[in-house]
Amino acid sequence: MASIPPSGVPSSKEKKYDRQLRLWGANGQNRLEAAHIALVGATSTGCEILKNLVLPCVGEFTIIDDKTVEESDLGTNFFLDEASIGKSRAERTMALLAELNPDVKGNFINNNLHELLETQPELFDPSTTKFTHIVVVSPFLTSDLLRLPQSIPLCLVYSVGFVTSFRLALPTHCIVETHPDSLVDLRLLSPWPELLEYATKQSAGLDAPESEGGMSDHQHGHVPYVVLLLKYLEDWKQTHNGSHPISYKEKNEFKAFIQSHMRTNVPGGSEENYEEAVAAVLKHIREPELSSATKAIFADARCAEPPANGDSFWITANAVSQFYSSPSQGAGVLPLSGSFPDMKAESSVYVELQNLYRARAQRDASLVFANVQATLDRLSLPTDSITLDDVTNFCKHANFLKHIDYCPLSDAFSEKPAEGFKDAVKAAWENWDAEDGLVYDYVALRGWQMFLDTHGKPPGVEDDSVENDRDEVSSNAQAFLKSVGIEDTISGTRTEKVVKELVRAGGGELHVIAALVGGIAAQELVKIITKQYIPVNNTVMFDGGSSRSAVFQF
Amino acid sequence: MAAVEAPDYASGPRWRDLNRIFQREGGFHKDDDEPYNPEAQREFIKNKGKILVIGAGGLGCEILKNLALSGFTDIHVIDMDTIDISNLNRQFLFRASDVGKPKASVAASFIMSRVPGVTITPHYGAIQDKDTSYYSQFTLIICGLDSVEARRWINATLFSMSDPNEPDTFVPLIDGGTEGFKGQSRIIIPGLSSCYECSLDMLTPQTAVPICTLASIPRQPAHCIEWASLLEWPRVFEDKKLDTDDPEHISWLYETALQRAREFNITGVTYQLTQGVVKNIIPAIASTNAIIAASCCNEALKLMTNMHNYIDNYMMYTGDEGVYTHTFQHEKKEGCPVCGEKKTTMMEVEAEWTLQELIDKLKEKPDVQLKRPTITKNGKGLFYQAPVQLFESTKANLEKKVNELMQSGDVIDVTDPGLPFSVSVEIIFK
Ligand SMILES: [Zn+2]
Repeated sequence: MASIPPSGVPSSKEKKYDRQLRLWGANGQNRLEAAHIALVGATSTGCEILKNLVLPCVGEFTIIDDKTVEESDLGTNFFLDEASIGKSRAERTMALLAELNPDVKGNFINNNLHELLETQPELFDPSTTKFTHIVVVSPFLTSDLLRLPQSIPLCLVYSVGFVTSFRLALPTHCIVETHPDSLVDLRLLSPWPELLEYATKQSAGLDAPESEGGMSDHQHGHVPYVVLLLKYLEDWKQTHNGSHPISYKEKNEFKAFIQSHMRTNVPGGSEENYEEAVAAVLKHIREPELSSATKAIFADARCAEPPANGDSFWITANAVSQFYSSPSQGAGVLPLSGSFPDMKAESSVYVELQNLYRARAQRDASLVFANVQATLDRLSLPTDSITLDDVTNFCKHANFLKHIDYCPLSDAFSEKPAEGFKDAVKAAWENWDAEDGLVYDYVALRGWQMFLDTHGKPPGVEDDSVENDRDEVSSNAQAFLKSVGIEDTISGTRTEKVVKELVRAGGGELHVIAALVGGIAAQELVKIITKQYIPVNNTVMFDGGSSRSAVFQF
Repeated sequence: MAAVEAPDYASGPRWRDLNRIFQREGGFHKDDDEPYNPEAQREFIKNKGKILVIGAGGLGCEILKNLALSGFTDIHVIDMDTIDISNLNRQFLFRASDVGKPKASVAASFIMSRVPGVTITPHYGAIQDKDTSYYSQFTLIICGLDSVEARRWINATLFSMSDPNEPDTFVPLIDGGTEGFKGQSRIIIPGLSSCYECSLDMLTPQTAVPICTLASIPRQPAHCIEWASLLEWPRVFEDKKLDTDDPEHISWLYETALQRAREFNITGVTYQLTQGVVKNIIPAIASTNAIIAASCCNEALKLMTNMHNYIDNYMMYTGDEGVYTHTFQHEKKEGCPVCGEKKTTMMEVEAEWTLQELIDKLKEKPDVQLKRPTITKNGKGLFYQAPVQLFESTKANLEKKVNELMQSGDVIDVTDPGLPFSVSVEIIFK
């Protein structure tokens, strides 16, 4: 991204993307612009997904499709026009999608996935491919799917009438910028010496009346609540054998203790800073504790011994974990985030206090940075491959990190499904309140896919085969259920109804549903590409009839 | 009704996929319902469905496309905005060369050129400029707005049109809204479901930063920006109104705020933040708009036909952490000033407050949130925002104490020049 000119006025690019930069910043935008999406299947659903990626400026896309545009395509796909009839569907959808954003490069390949895997395997070979992410939309053959490399993030999408689903399969996904509601950590129970010293200085004369040399009402009403809490915590410890208010009951007593020091003979009858202090007790007085996600990262073998490929996430995680456990560094606490909330205070005092938190965060980050450098050196990697800015950002989010290990597609789609997959389907199926559960839709959809794999076309295409096709899809769904070790019958269950819905569509898309799943899948892809926010793990079912969704880890 | 030949569902190859779903009974068709009748549905969509889309922005562009590809042929769209460069990251019917043109007409022509047989009638103007005779011509209204005020207005207007003895006067409203990775869609059927006003307290009211913080103890970059726009601008440019769409005005605010921030050693004032604070910008992306607009149109399609069941009555979508939806029945609020039976809400006040303080609290009260409240009691005005004569004659009351003007248990009526209804508030002294 272009840097901001001296006047501060944003560039035209920053203006155009302003509403999304507020969500993922220049960092996320750069990643988006470096991505190259391959779309296999120029259906309405596929084009809707691409539309939502072309608009925010994904770098490049390639549409793979071997169909010729028919008039029936125009009834569901907005990215085809009258002039497209009879021409390559890949070429025409590419042209009408690329037209949405001149900053994006579009390509097309007038061929199908099956042929390409045979004749041009280098297209999808991880060592030669240009694609950073692959999107495959139905209809596709399971056997082709299983030939795609596991190292390229893949999004698999179904949109059949009112029934939709998508599945993500990608290598371990590590996220630093998860965008939690707040990054604030005030360290009230383990203040560092400079902070405590400052609080002591700022609270001198706090409890004495002004006539006895104490603070004036104005001063008293402007002592920031962090100072109040630190001061009253010290007082509390004196009368509680040196321990902090930890239990809910103790915290309520502590609140009352603070309240008892508030001056009430002031205009309005109360002091805002004291009220802020009382309100902050439950939220901010807590022992520094590792989140379960960060704990899981510290426990991962890749954190203990970062992979030699120089993955910055694991090297930095390793450095933070060293910081956490080293007595001379964090000594059992994470690097400080440095984020500081607003509070009633004089401007100068507020800024001083904020700077104390920022300086501490900088000090922590530089210690972590030194750990990173040592590891890079040990792994014979260039020491400038991870910058201080990267480390500072990582430290800021240290307690909000997230990593997701996705199950490979073959677990669910190979002829012999993995035990973990079977257990997951069984658990969802047997969930006692799942009578209406969308696992029934999943089972029906698997029956639908088996029909497609057998016949090379979806069920319900011909009016006179609807009944027969329905029976076949139902018995497929039953067979799928058996293959994961479930002996129940689908007869009379929701699965039977969903099969009827699936065959009703005859493999066709309903535009509103294509647009809907196109939005959801694109949103997940944006999260994956920008490495910000938390993508779903790993299967989403959405029923357009009841407008409900469910997530399964299949 | 549209003059152009509507798509032929019976045999047109273009509509093959939609037609198939229309023609075949679905898996969730209840046996005790009437037998599935495809003919009646095709007929309805083709000849009777006349839809108004309010807003041709991020949601509106998507809604128009979705309706055109769902077989609706007579669509109207109303929007008062022109196209801005910052719309192009999601409003896919607009190009850089369209900047400055009215959204409604550019969107309408684009859709009509892409989907033959559909007629879209654009209106470039405010919804408040149209009256009930205009709104009553539609079978359904879909709203894709980012303004709470405009939604409250159309909701109240549609309820005021509804006559229980005349079923045709009930026009259902489908409303969509987004913010970042989140959004919601809902169906509002006058008389049956809850209304927009019922759910007002689901929005967080904006709490204003106290003026004394802005004036004397700023701590945040936003405090410096608000100081520049609320206090410095009117002081320096006495008679010139601040135009937040004018880049020169924003630049002045940015530089003024930056200067103030430097004086107080506050960091973080940027042009982007300045714009965000003064224009109250809500982040918006293509994918979320796509999800919510599609959900609105999916419900429209199901509501207008019996091809599948429509929701009763609300769906929330949250995408920043995984994929989460919550579909539920939002309930009518008893004291709702638009659809409620007992149209009074309650408020506890200090008898010592001035009327001005009471008004400030009213603005923030979650189920009131009026921007410019006018207060009357038993038809007698306590304070008027406008016209200027009434404002002048009542403004002295602002300094009076509440207990000089009313007693505990009194009911005051609160109105806002922007909204076609009044909120009755029972005042209880603490
Ligand atoms: Zn209501």
